[in-house]
Amino acid sequence: MSTPALMKGLPWTVLRLHRAALIVWGAFVVLAIGVLAWTITVTADTALRELAACELRGACGIASTVSYSERIGFVGLAVGYAFLAVAAWTGAALIGRELENGTAALAWTQSVSPARWLAAKLAMPALLLTLGGTALVLAFRWGWSAHRELMGDSWDFGHVFLARGPAMVAYTLCALAVGALVAIAVRRPLPALGLSLAAMFALNFVLDTFRWDLWPAVTRTGATELQLPDNVRGLQNGVIIDGRRTADVEYWACDGTPAEVQRCVDDLGVTGYYAVYHPQSHYWPLHLVETGIVLAVTAAATTAAFILLRRRTV
Amino acid sequence: MTATAVHPGQTGQTGRTGRLTRSLDPRQGLPWTILRLHRAALWFWAPTVTVGAAALLWAYGPGADAAWAEHQKNSCAAIMVDSCDTGFAYVRYNLAVTFGAGLLIVAPALAAAWAGGSLIGRDMENGTAALLWTQSVSPTRWLAAKLAVPAVLLVSGTVALTLLHRLTWYGNTDVRDVMGAAEWYDATAFLPNGILATAYVLLGLALGALAGLLLRRALPALGAALAGLIAVRAALEALRPSLWPVETVVMKDDEAPSWSGMYVEHGAVTSTGDHVPDRACLDGACSGHEIVGYYADYHPESHYWPLQLVETGIVLALTALLVLAAFRLLNRRTGGVK
Repeated sequence: MSTPALMKGLPWTVLRLHRAALIVWGAFVVLAIGVLAWTITVTADTALRELAACELRGACGIASTVSYSERIGFVGLAVGYAFLAVAAWTGAALIGRELENGTAALAWTQSVSPARWLAAKLAMPALLLTLGGTALVLAFRWGWSAHRELMGDSWDFGHVFLARGPAMVAYTLCALAVGALVAIAVRRPLPALGLSLAAMFALNFVLDTFRWDLWPAVTRTGATELQLPDNVRGLQNGVIIDGRRTADVEYWACDGTPAEVQRCVDDLGVTGYYAVYHPQSHYWPLHLVETGIVLAVTAAATTAAFILLRRRTV
Repeated sequence: MTATAVHPGQTGQTGRTGRLTRSLDPRQGLPWTILRLHRAALWFWAPTVTVGAAALLWAYGPGADAAWAEHQKNSCAAIMVDSCDTGFAYVRYNLAVTFGAGLLIVAPALAAAWAGGSLIGRDMENGTAALLWTQSVSPTRWLAAKLAVPAVLLVSGTVALTLLHRLTWYGNTDVRDVMGAAEWYDATAFLPNGILATAYVLLGLALGALAGLLLRRALPALGAALAGLIAVRAALEALRPSLWPVETVVMKDDEAPSWSGMYVEHGAVTSTGDHVPDRACLDGACSGHEIVGYYADYHPESHYWPLQLVETGIVLALTALLVLAAFRLLNRRTGGVK
């Protein structure tokens, strides 16, 4: 009995064993792209006409626009945070289960060494996650930018920020590595599931908190109140008094005619205004620095997983 | 898992104590065994609920006070930048409330995943359940205890958190108003302010139990229970506005809508009296009839409890059906051993 070469060997075994996950991932990629395509081609027309009617007659509905925006936002959430599902699956099904029930130990008594076993376990999913993730990111970029006038979100929303670039793929790869490390450490699927999920959630929470500090922000000052461009991520703003910046002076409480406002502001000692913000052009530097950090964590977790496995099996 | 860990009370029971005292000892019997077996889950749930409760209490008192003081000092509304970060005091207040509310929102999913994977699925997969049934515990009593003990603990936690969330929500209306926080009909408030979170937690438990018994494998049961819960919640969330008759206002001309609450639908009233859910009558939606006015369907805040209770009723009915199905399935599998 001859089997094609492609259908033999460790990678094929990994695919066969986890075919349920393969089907779910494939279905997710196809479904997400399908929803995006359908939303921006089929449903956009109704929403655009709705919007045109608003401008023309003042009388209009917003239902189609809202559901357009919601659908794309929902796909963005699913794509941006898919790494959480990857972490859960890796910790529990890919690695944890086999360590608990002894399948892994059995495999290692055959011709497969522990290191090769782990390498195959990580390589095949990593390849498929990269391919599928890239397709999802490209599709989401296309769907998100198709009709900006119908959407209420902005580039700095957490899920939009992630789902529009390589950080999405980096987070899924990181989830794979962290899931494997946790599973090898605890050797039981259900605790590994919970801990991997918690670890990836925490990593994302930390990076989300410090996201806007990863690249120098723009500071603008002026003698009059500043008109910032659209779509900026504001960080801080205030007034300049005695050459010092402060966000604590209630200059906006000044009210009345322009002359009265001017006098009131002068009385406060305001000599200028400042604002600190990220323009939309900072998206790529911010995004790539975060991607780099996530990939560094991925590399560290992968190395730790191999070292821990070797220590356990020697 | 060693036998002593599963039956902690059995060590030396006959030698040390008599029959009567043994049966009265709370550290023996099925409920205690279940608590011991799933102590990891207990160690997760109890501190989490405690932290959530503390966060909500803090938000209700000092958190809200600080956010209000900051708002008085530093109003974001009048700043020249179109987007500005809210003050730190409000961010902290919001984080505490979001944590408490978020716990109530995700607790049902956690219950479903845990019940499917750990509580039932794992015991079915590795044979612990079958072993236990050969001891003095019948399958029916085993399942009843497996459901009752977590149900009591889950319900205690969600009810406590719900009460505290209501305290924070209704105690700080001024902070909520100026900060543009969630409205009563938003998912982040609708669930944590009522009994729905508690009902959904029980549904999650029932879904997990049935999935575990059906699939008899921990991880697939975990996935199936989670998927089932998400599906039920998505369906009921979509149905929510239609669970109680809407209020309708009709406006003569195109004035600003005079309603507030959960939006359901609005559109044009034609000369035939029809309500067409399209204010502009695009694409012949009004079949050529003239627009004589506009209408809006909505739920005022007074519909909160009717909407909440109807949905709770549906969820609890579904839970009862699932529990019944789980017991019947178990009975059929084990040949009706009582």
